[in-house]
Amino acid sequence: MKLSTYNFLTSMAIKGVKVGYPLKLTINKKEVVETEFNATFVERLLPKLDWSAIYSAAQVVELTDDIPAVQPENIAENEQLMQKLHHLLFEIDVLDGQLECPETGRVFPITDGIPNMLLNEDEV
Amino acid sequence: MRLNLTAVSSPSPIHCQLEKMIATHVSKPKKVDKKKRRCLAIIKADYNVTESETPTIFLAILNAGLCNGLTEETLLAKATAHGKVSQVLMLASKSYCFLKCASIADAESIFLAMHNVSTIGQHGAVCYLSYVTGIPQLEAVENDWNKPLPKGLILLTDFITEEEESALLKAIGNDSRSNEGNMKNRRVKHFGYEFVYGSNNVDSTKPLECRIPTACDFLWPRFRQAAAENDLQGLDWTQPDQLTVNEYEPGHGIPPHVDTHSAFLDPILSLSLESDVVMEFRRGSECTPLLLLRRSLLVMSGEARFDWMHGIRPRHLDWLPTATVSLTMEPRRKRTSLTFRRLRRGPCHCQFPTLCDTHQSTAPKLLMDTLAKQAVSLEQQNVHDVYNKIANHFSDTRHTPWPKVSDFLHSFDPQSIVLDVGCGNGKYLCCNSQLLAIGCDRSQGLLGVCNSRQQSVFRCDCLQLPIRTASMDGCISIAVIHHLASSERRLTALREMARILRPGGRALVYVWAKEQRRDNNKSSYLRQNKAVNKERTTEQAQRQHQAAQLEHKINPPHVSLPVHTNRTEFQQQDVFVPWKTKDAEHTTFLRYYHVFEEQELERLIADVPEVFLIKSYYDQGNHCVIFERAVS
Repeated sequence: MKLSTYNFLTSMAIKGVKVGYPLKLTINKKEVVETEFNATFVERLLPKLDWSAIYSAAQVVELTDDIPAVQPENIAENEQLMQKLHHLLFEIDVLDGQLECPETGRVFPITDGIPNMLLNEDEV
Repeated sequence: MRLNLTAVSSPSPIHCQLEKMIATHVSKPKKVDKKKRRCLAIIKADYNVTESETPTIFLAILNAGLCNGLTEETLLAKATAHGKVSQVLMLASKSYCFLKCASIADAESIFLAMHNVSTIGQHGAVCYLSYVTGIPQLEAVENDWNKPLPKGLILLTDFITEEEESALLKAIGNDSRSNEGNMKNRRVKHFGYEFVYGSNNVDSTKPLECRIPTACDFLWPRFRQAAAENDLQGLDWTQPDQLTVNEYEPGHGIPPHVDTHSAFLDPILSLSLESDVVMEFRRGSECTPLLLLRRSLLVMSGEARFDWMHGIRPRHLDWLPTATVSLTMEPRRKRTSLTFRRLRRGPCHCQFPTLCDTHQSTAPKLLMDTLAKQAVSLEQQNVHDVYNKIANHFSDTRHTPWPKVSDFLHSFDPQSIVLDVGCGNGKYLCCNSQLLAIGCDRSQGLLGVCNSRQQSVFRCDCLQLPIRTASMDGCISIAVIHHLASSERRLTALREMARILRPGGRALVYVWAKEQRRDNNKSSYLRQNKAVNKERTTEQAQRQHQAAQLEHKINPPHVSLPVHTNRTEFQQQDVFVPWKTKDAEHTTFLRYYHVFEEQELERLIADVPEVFLIKSYYDQGNHCVIFERAVS
């Protein structure tokens, strides 16, 4: 699972959960796959991403020195930050770990790189 | 034996050339002996037929038969040039065949002329002959003729005189107003109403200008008289209002079919003109031949009309029983049949559901409640479990993106985020590399395929997308929600897609259509049914065949639904569609589908308040909609 995908995932479908976001990420195993950096791609994508989940992902992979807790203004002009964001969102692949609902603690396992967000019938 | 050789197709010019070339290269005696011994051993093992040292009336063609391309016509054209033949025995999937000759002298003459000379073998190879002690007794072939006719089937011979026959032919031939058409294997004309082959029905609101010619009027009292004499007064003998004329040249035929129940009443009457032909009546594995004599009237009523299919094989020769029980052949000549029917103008109420279109289209309504109640377990067993088991094979068959889906994905601005709900093997995730495309599916097996291709995917159910509200620029869901077993669930899936779209975001949804034709064009799904398209068989025959096959092959699923026959028209909306694996066991899995009626998908979209319909269209057997989330 790329951390760009993580940015969209929620547990709000669980009965009684109000927001279910961001999910608490735990990584047991990850790999880094280098991909071509495209500044425009990252720039245009940013408004569609949630910064709080970008930051929580950065915390997990210990990149908080590079990525601040609050989205800085004029971010597109900061080439270095854009590169770090590219690395965070598109190059880190979580192979094994879990996502946890912040409200209920329900755990969604990530196995072989695929998060299993499937809920049981009685959870919805 | 009557044999008109002009009716037998002659070998092609290329074949003749080859023959000349090869004839000079006949095999050497030692090689011939070796080959003969090998072939005779096979025949002995198959049928316990052995070689005769001395000439007999029985000849085996050792190395040419149906399975390596020899036809009855080719063999006969060769053999009868040298001697009289009283029976040919071609065996399905065998590389040899047999001739029974009229006398030993005929057999010797044929043997001398053909053995190690005639190039009727595969790819123009020379053939080898042997005298044998007998030919296999194919009881089945001969016994077919001793079977009783299907119930309700009556043949009234000499129903009209020769003068009446020529008067009818003249009247029909002269009638240029009639609605005429060419089928693959015969010419047809319609009077009264047109039989539309696409829908297999008549349009009772559109009578043709050309009514049944008045020259037929003398038949009506005769029909009623026949009814009285044969105790058939219970049926509808009112004057027919539809006439179909079929003209068959030698080699022509009509695939096995039942006359559409809801289109016509009982009985169906068919008059044979100009020559005889053998018609076959089939029900499941039962098959009964009947010789339709020239100037006879065939009455198909009751069981024979509703539960048996009838057809004529496209051949140049018919095999007929003789007084001595063996078969003889009759070359076909041109034949014209006049089929008289009356329109039903309403549903059929027969007692024979298997081939009844009315029964097939009305029965499933009772199922809706059951489906809604058992939706979860049905989808688990007959959708999710199946896709997991067939994931790799399924993925191998899904590689080319459908052009209109690809167009939709290219209609987004670069760097748009698009979710593919039910992404399968992810073939649309890499369609437009300018997008951030994420996929989700129920099937772990298929997700594994995506993941191995470095695509971003997660596992979920389309009824609960674990995605932030209003976060997606686009969404596609191709061939997914037709796997949901109730209307409510299908709506829920669409609502979820609407929820995740940002205002102005657009979604494309494809579902399988019940209707697999548009403007009389078959969908690519139907077009791949080559046997039906070439009129070698019919959809009805394939359905009967499959029903018989599946009976003992699959565990009965817990919800009783009809099993659809692949590459045929859908008979019902809620069906199991078989998936045959390619492994040695040829395991058949049943996938549940709800195929959509026209406008059904649009009606569901109308029930999703956040979105409006941009476009709906029909694409190769699928109903498709594009909708947009309103900017509130």
